[in-house]
Amino acid sequence: MKDIHFEGVGKAFRTRSGSDFVALSDVSLTVAEREFVAVVGPSGSGKTTLMRMAAGLDHPTSGQVTVGGKRVTAPGPDRAVVFQQFALFPWKTVRENIAFGLRCQGAPRAKQDEVVARYLRLMNMEGTEDRYPHQLSGGMQQRVAIARSYAIEPDVLLMDEPFGALDAQTRTVMQEELVRLTRREPRTTLFITHAVEEAVYLADRVVVLARDPGRLREIVDVRATREAEGWDGMAIDAVMDLPSFTHLRTHVWRLLRDQIRPDD
Amino acid sequence: MSAPDMPAQGRAAGLAPAAPRAIRRLPALGIGRRGVVGALSIVGLLALWWVLTTGTGFVAPYRFPSPAEFRGALDQFVTDGYAGGTLWVQAWHSTRLVLMGFVVAALTGVPLGLLMGVSPRAEALLNPAFLLVRPIPPLAWIPLAIVWLGLGDAAKVLVIWFAAFVPSVINTWTGVRGVDRTLIAAAQVHGAGRWRMLTEVIIPGALPMIFTGLRLSLQASWTTLVAAELVGAFFGLGRVLDAAYRDINPAMIAVAMVVVGILGAATTKLLGEAERRLIPWRS
Repeated sequence: MKDIHFEGVGKAFRTRSGSDFVALSDVSLTVAEREFVAVVGPSGSGKTTLMRMAAGLDHPTSGQVTVGGKRVTAPGPDRAVVFQQFALFPWKTVRENIAFGLRCQGAPRAKQDEVVARYLRLMNMEGTEDRYPHQLSGGMQQRVAIARSYAIEPDVLLMDEPFGALDAQTRTVMQEELVRLTRREPRTTLFITHAVEEAVYLADRVVVLARDPGRLREIVDVRATREAEGWDGMAIDAVMDLPSFTHLRTHVWRLLRDQIRPDD
Repeated sequence: MSAPDMPAQGRAAGLAPAAPRAIRRLPALGIGRRGVVGALSIVGLLALWWVLTTGTGFVAPYRFPSPAEFRGALDQFVTDGYAGGTLWVQAWHSTRLVLMGFVVAALTGVPLGLLMGVSPRAEALLNPAFLLVRPIPPLAWIPLAIVWLGLGDAAKVLVIWFAAFVPSVINTWTGVRGVDRTLIAAAQVHGAGRWRMLTEVIIPGALPMIFTGLRLSLQASWTTLVAAELVGAFFGLGRVLDAAYRDINPAMIAVAMVVVGILGAATTKLLGEAERRLIPWRS
């Protein structure tokens, strides 16, 4: 397992009108091995840029990102990404989508079948292996995308608002399933979201960003409270009623609220 | 695939929930309302033809043949032949050339489009040359092809190739550039190498556009072949048209036109069937 290290990371570019725009400024952050860190921030705070830099899909203009001590320069299978729009291959069945990364690694067929079967079971999706993505609901598509990323056993999981395109009920189910999966197979995870409750429910630590320019505002520890209160054994709605949860949620919410403008 | 291309049975048996409600079906026959309306329109056209040429004599026979004359010309073409061969000989001659030219164009055009789509260097190198040659109408190549290769088959294949090549290249190229960037990123972050990226992401993603290009190429193939045979040929449906024009035989002209139309539609249909089989993930 590897950690993620952002060292004084910044991203600036010149706009068409010729002025410099700073998307991210001097972000230093470490996601420890097997730690689940959620990043929240208003739109324009650069949270997705942060994730894309760790993935190697975007590059900082100052500072550097290292994963497991190695500087990130390009995308690689040690850092699997779950995208907001699922990004499943429409021409591949559920089985082929989940096995894609394993085939890239040259895993034998038996191993592929075993892994696919395991994740279909974990995701409650048995019997769907021969369907195409367009035959699945949004929630099921995102389950497949998560399974595809878990299947290659990446050192680092990067999730870019993975539940953002789902309806409220499906999202709740998926949050519970992700908690189940991630506590069972903890991986170094960077989880981008704009939903405060989701961040507090899922993460060990919540990173709050500010914008103009995008920068670190505060890091809120959740793990100690969660473990003391035993959230993981409870249903999501029960957790959300706990004073310990609402306290943390309100704290994060206040950090965000004073930077939200009416036009958001 | 657009609704009219889809066979009526397929639509009735298909699972596609997106089929428009407005198209009600006659379940017993398996024919959609659209099919009934289509049949009516054809019957109406045939009736109008008979009325204008035979019933009222409004259109003189030397301008356009009556159904009876059409039938006579068809019989003559099938049994005795015309302009050097029977219907089957002439139709096969043309079809064979179209298929040869089309296949050569597809086998060169699609790979070139893929190359230009994935490699900025190839695009920078080839695009200027392409832009220069592209505005020349395909038919304008016919004289040069005849000078080079004479009136035989080779010249026809060459001209078809020139005509059919361009739509294959352009649409493949457009298709590659239109592949969802997120899917390419998803393939990268799951460890896909260049070859797998090409064969499992870029080509399938571009396939609908590739088929659009192939369809246009096939149509261009027929257009060009008939034109090339009109200009000069020993056999083929264009040669039949040319001979019938010299003989002032409107009935035979009409027969040859209808045969070209049917062959064009049939080959397009075959291509559509190939598309349907190769793109099963499309709802």
